[in-house]
Amino acid sequence: MSILYLLSVPLAFAFLSLVFTSKVLVRSFFLLGTMVLAVAGWWLVFQSNPKEKIFAFGENLMMDSFCALFILIIVSIGLLSSLYAAGYLFKEDESAIPLVKLKRYAFFFHLFLFTMLLTVCSNNLGIMWIAIEGTTLASAFLVNVDDKKSSIEAAWKYLILCTVGIALALFGIILVYYSAISGAIGDGKDFLHWTFLMEHARQLDPEVMKLAFIFILVGYGTKSGLAPFHSWLPDAHSQAPSPVSALLSGVLLSCAIFGIVRFHALTQIVTNSQFSGNLLIFFGLLSVAIATPFILIQGDYKRLFAYSSVEHMGLVAVGFGFGGLFGIYGALLHIINHAFTKSLLFFSSGHLLHHYRTKEIQKINGIIKTSPLLGGIFFLGVLAIAGLPPFSIFVSEFVILASGFIAKRFAVCAILLLLLILVFAGLLKHASSMVFGKSEQPVHSEKSLLMDGVLCIGVVLILVMGVYLPTPLNHLLQEASLVIQGKN
Amino acid sequence: MSMEHESILSLIHFMGMAFLIFSFAMIASPQLLSCVRFYALHSLSLAVITALIAYGNHVEHLIVPAILTLVLKTWVIPQIFFKLTRRLGVHREIESYINIPFSLVLSTLLVFAAYYTTGDLKVLRPVFSNEFIPLAIATILIGMLMMATRKNAVSQVLGLLLLENGLFLMAVTMTFGMPLLVELGIFFDVLVGAIIMGIFVFKIRNAFEGIDVDDLTVLKG
Repeated sequence: MSILYLLSVPLAFAFLSLVFTSKVLVRSFFLLGTMVLAVAGWWLVFQSNPKEKIFAFGENLMMDSFCALFILIIVSIGLLSSLYAAGYLFKEDESAIPLVKLKRYAFFFHLFLFTMLLTVCSNNLGIMWIAIEGTTLASAFLVNVDDKKSSIEAAWKYLILCTVGIALALFGIILVYYSAISGAIGDGKDFLHWTFLMEHARQLDPEVMKLAFIFILVGYGTKSGLAPFHSWLPDAHSQAPSPVSALLSGVLLSCAIFGIVRFHALTQIVTNSQFSGNLLIFFGLLSVAIATPFILIQGDYKRLFAYSSVEHMGLVAVGFGFGGLFGIYGALLHIINHAFTKSLLFFSSGHLLHHYRTKEIQKINGIIKTSPLLGGIFFLGVLAIAGLPPFSIFVSEFVILASGFIAKRFAVCAILLLLLILVFAGLLKHASSMVFGKSEQPVHSEKSLLMDGVLCIGVVLILVMGVYLPTPLNHLLQEASLVIQGKN
Repeated sequence: MSMEHESILSLIHFMGMAFLIFSFAMIASPQLLSCVRFYALHSLSLAVITALIAYGNHVEHLIVPAILTLVLKTWVIPQIFFKLTRRLGVHREIESYINIPFSLVLSTLLVFAAYYTTGDLKVLRPVFSNEFIPLAIATILIGMLMMATRKNAVSQVLGLLLLENGLFLMAVTMTFGMPLLVELGIFFDVLVGAIIMGIFVFKIRNAFEGIDVDDLTVLKG
């Protein structure tokens, strides 16, 4: 029942935001919605026992520890993004966007959060598919808030490519359902329930399952930005307004990975082999390898971070592919760390865009001199995403690589290390040219306490997470790794 | 009973042929309006197939998807597209990267490929009939071909809808359709998706003064 309450919060606030006729009310309810959602999400996750599964809506919805982790990420980044968005989209000067657009923004923002929550709370794999398709539909308008030529192009590519990709995933789901119908015994209603399929894995046909997993991987892989299906990603993530980019990069990509992992867990048990794991390692490694040159030569800082997301999703996929308690734990931790670090970077790129009115790396110099706070946080953020200790990303990358060595995948680990060093060099080169040096450009600087506050919270979070992991979270991570291994 | 069963079966096969022919017609039609009309006919044949399977095999829960296909895909969505093309004022021929005869040849090859790859696939033994799997896969592939080769944004969406019809046929013949809740959700997504894409076609028209997607080349690298 409590899952239904959680899901109803963003849905209710989405429609509420259409009712109001004043900007102040739209803005307050926009913020109130994400705050209520954050409180509800955190409360739901931490008051329930991580070992237990909570079902709702005829077992179509389910919260286990794996899902709980994602609820935490969605509501937390959702809150930070909305705070940041409230700072710059809802300004009260003449350049501010008209009320109609604000309402549309607030509506789709909450709807987007709803579809992502529905994705991770689905036990029914068909409903999960509907929700993932829903995320594309809800976020397409968010990518194209400014109605510029470039953002229309980005949104169109995003819509078309992701919808085709997801159509392929539906093919995979049909195959799984077929396999359940022809193999398993039970009530037909349950045949798409993940928990049911995991229990009756022995009765499913391994060959059909392998075929299904390939389609799922290509389909949801498109949505999660795995190479070579990532071509829409840099466009959409660089054209969207910064708070939306943060959600797209930090949260949505991981939600698609969530879908893949549910099937990966199933395929592993059904086929009793490393088939799906090996595929994940292959596409993960390919993603890191393809993202690396684009990071090295990138001229646009928002695209730079978008390609860095391709790289990190690749790393996460490799982590799940390595498997074992370590690999899955590392991948999950990496999803959390990436979500916070990448959203921090997109928030600070929102600042940069506002100050310098350009997305080109070359045109920005000496941020540290004109605005020390922003320059410092931006530089720390880039160091963090590049994987420097003591930041949190370093820890999870280390765990993933360690799990690779445990799994005796030395070649994969060696290539990965080499690529990570290249990415590190590329990111550092771009960031130092932007942060240091002489500043000659005119800077449009307006203070927004809310936006600066979000940056500070973000940087503190990634620093703290690097050295200290709260016990309940650690507990949740361990339970979630067990769930994915099918061990509870 | 068996006479009736047999006549239903042959009717289903006949509609299956119609389904394939309308796929071809969609990719061969030089004008948007006729392409939309063929999509409506394509969906109509799909609705009839679904209804016949539901009736012939006593699968009651397939009746709802059959009716929804009839209402949404043969009427509502085509109406949206008729309105769209009228308001866009596109009457000239659709431009394509490859000409129509060649895309027909390619489509034929795709049908052969679909039959060849799934013909003796031992792992798939569908609940209904073997012949519909290659048909569904061929439709999915033709839909993809249409999306890849048409320059026009509306045709790309039509290609996507064609692909979705193929998937629907796949689900119906392999498993007698997904659970009703899931089917309803998919219909909802398709409808909302068609509307949203329609809105974006307008945005493209206003910003780029045309609906050719090869003008969309601002973003690179």
